[in-house]
Amino acid sequence: MSRPVLARRDQVLRGGQPLAFGVGLLVALVVGVVLLMGSGHDPMRVYERMFDASLGSSRAWSVTLNRAVPLGLAGLAVAVAGSMGLWNIGAEGQIMAGAIGATWVARIGEGWPGPVLVPAMLAAAVVGGGLLALGPAVARARIGVNEIITTLMLNEVALRLVQWLIHGRWKDPDSHGFPLAPMLPEQGRLPNLFERAHVGVVLAGVVIALFGLAASRTAWGYELRVAGSSGATARYAGISLQRKILTVLVVSGGVAGLAGGVELTGASDRITEGLSNGFGFAGIIVAALALMRPSGVAAVALLFGAVQIGGQSIQTMGVSSSVSTILQALILFGAIAAGVFSRYRVEMVSGDAAEAAA
Amino acid sequence: MTEASVIGLLEATVSFGALLYLAALGEMIAEKAGILNLGVEGMMAMGAVTGFVVALHTGNPWVALAGAVAAGAAVALLHGLFTVVMGADQVVSGLSLTILGIGLAAYLGKGSVGRPAGAELSSVDWGPLSDIPWFGPVLFQQSPFVYLAVVAGVVAWFVLGRTRLGLALRAAGESASTADAAGHSVAGLRLGAVAMGGALAGAAGAYLTLSLTPQWAEGIVAGRGWIAVALVIFGAWRPGRVALGSLLFGMTLALKTRLQTFGVDFSPILLSMLPYLLTVGVLVAISIRARNRPSPAPAALGIAYRREER
Repeated sequence: MSRPVLARRDQVLRGGQPLAFGVGLLVALVVGVVLLMGSGHDPMRVYERMFDASLGSSRAWSVTLNRAVPLGLAGLAVAVAGSMGLWNIGAEGQIMAGAIGATWVARIGEGWPGPVLVPAMLAAAVVGGGLLALGPAVARARIGVNEIITTLMLNEVALRLVQWLIHGRWKDPDSHGFPLAPMLPEQGRLPNLFERAHVGVVLAGVVIALFGLAASRTAWGYELRVAGSSGATARYAGISLQRKILTVLVVSGGVAGLAGGVELTGASDRITEGLSNGFGFAGIIVAALALMRPSGVAAVALLFGAVQIGGQSIQTMGVSSSVSTILQALILFGAIAAGVFSRYRVEMVSGDAAEAAA
Repeated sequence: MTEASVIGLLEATVSFGALLYLAALGEMIAEKAGILNLGVEGMMAMGAVTGFVVALHTGNPWVALAGAVAAGAAVALLHGLFTVVMGADQVVSGLSLTILGIGLAAYLGKGSVGRPAGAELSSVDWGPLSDIPWFGPVLFQQSPFVYLAVVAGVVAWFVLGRTRLGLALRAAGESASTADAAGHSVAGLRLGAVAMGGALAGAAGAYLTLSLTPQWAEGIVAGRGWIAVALVIFGAWRPGRVALGSLLFGMTLALKTRLQTFGVDFSPILLSMLPYLLTVGVLVAISIRARNRPSPAPAALGIAYRREER
C-alpha cells in the first residue's frame, strides 16, 4: 500500500511568495466564476465591472487607494508584531479605539484650525490604539499571557465602547433619537489629494515605508527578527525580551489606531460602530500574504482595496457584495496551498517505507 | 421584579447558555486535539444559513439540522486540510475561515433574507415535568437544541475523559510525537476533532435560524462565536466548567434586554462587555498560577505536526 507524503524540497522554489500570491488570486477568480454562474451572472461581465470600478480610471484608483489605506495600516500593525513572532489579532478594536481618541480631540478642539486639529486627532488615534494594546502587551511581557486571545477579546470590548458612547454621551442631540454621533467639523477632515483620494494615502505610504526601512536597515529591526526567531539567542545578544514585546505590541496597536484616525478623518463624517468594517481582520490576511514584510503589505493592501471596491460596484448588477469577501479569503487559502508546494513536494511512498522512515 | 420576569430570565439564560455551549464544546474538542480554530463565527454562520435554506426547501427541521451539522463540519475540514495536512498557521487559517464562512453564508442566504422559516424546532413537551412550577418553564419547555447541548456535553465528558479514543485525542493535543509513537494517527485524530468542532458549531448556528430567531439575516451570529472561543479558556478546557461558564455568559446575554424590567440602571451595552473582560481576567489568572502548577491549556495547542520531520 502506498500513500502520498509531503517531503521538504532541498531548495525553496524561486520567487515563491509572489508566485503563491498569483496562484491564490487565480484560485479565487476561478471559484468566483463558479459562484457567479451559480447565481446566474456572466462572470466575465462582473469581473470587467470590478476592474473598471477599482482600477479602470483615475477616479477608480482614487477610491481604491482610499480603501487600501486602512487595510495597509492594519496590515502593517499586524506585520510589526508578526515580525517578532507575536500575533496582534486586535487591530479591529484598536482601529475603533483610534477613532474614539480622534473623535474625543475633535470634540474638545472644535474651534481649532485644521492644521492643528487634524494632526492632534491623528496623534490621539495613535494613543488610543496603543492604549488598547497596552493591557495585552503588559500581560504578555510580564506574565506570559497569550496575546492572541487577549487582543481578540478586546476587539469586542472596543466595539461596545463605541456603541455605548454613541448611544449615550456622544449622541447628537439633533439626531432625532437615533444613536448617531455628531458630524465632524469641516476643518477636522483630511484634505483631498486628487479625485476622491485624501492625504491619508500619502501618510500611510510614508508610515509603511518608514517601518520598512526600520525593519531592514536598523538595529531595532534586526533585534526584532532575532527576538522573533529565537528567544534564547536574543537573551545572549543582550536584547531585553520583555521590553521588546511590550514596545512592539504597543507600537502595533498605535499603527492600527492610526488606521482608525485616518479612516475617520479621511473617509467618514463621524464615528460609527461600522467604522472598522473588518479592516482589522483583513489586515491579518494582508500581513500573512506579505510574509510580515512592510513592502509586501503595501502591494497586497492595494490589491485587497481593489477587490473590496470592485465588490461594492457589482451590487448594482444584483450581485451580492459577499462575493468580494469570499474572494479575499480564497486568495489567502490559495496562496497558503501554493506556498506549501513551493517548500514541499508530494511523494508517493509505500506503506512499509513510511513505517521504516517513521 | 415579578416571578414571571425572573422565570423568563432563567429560561433565556438556559437557552442562550445552550447556544454558547454547543459552539464552545466543539471548539474545546478541536483544541484538546491541538488545533485552535478561530473560525467559529464563520462555521456558525454556515450552519445557520444551511439550516434555514434546507428547512425552506424540505420543510423538515431535522433534515435541516443534519444539513447544518454537515455544512459546519465541511468548512471546518477546510481548516483541517490547511492546518493539519499542510501545516499552515492556525491563527491565519482560522480567521480566514471566519471571513470565508461569513461571506459564503451571505452569498447562499441572499434569497432567504426576511422570509419566514420553512420549519422550526419548537419546544419539547415533557408532560407533567413541564408543569412543575419554576423548573418546568426553565428546564422542561426548552427547544430540542438545549437537550442536544446537554447530551453532547455528557458524551464529550465521557469520551474525552473515560475512553481510549479520548486519551488518544488528548495525547495528540499534549504531545503529538508521543501519540504518534503510541501508534495513533495524529492527523486522523486532529481532523476528526476539527470536523466534530465544526459539526457542533453548525448545530449552534442552526439553533439560531431554526429555533431562537427563527429567521435568516446577515450578521445573525453577532459575535457569539467569539464568546465560544472565550468560553473554552474561561472553562479551562473542561466540559463541566465550560457548561457553567456558558450559563454565566448566557445570563449576560439574557440580561441585556431585561435590565430595565428589573429596574437596574446600568447600560446593557457595558454589561455585554463582561464575557470578554472576564475571559481576559481568567487568562491572566491562569498565567499567574502557571508559575506554580501546569497550565490547563493543551501543551501542543497551535503547533503543527509533521511526521516526516519528527
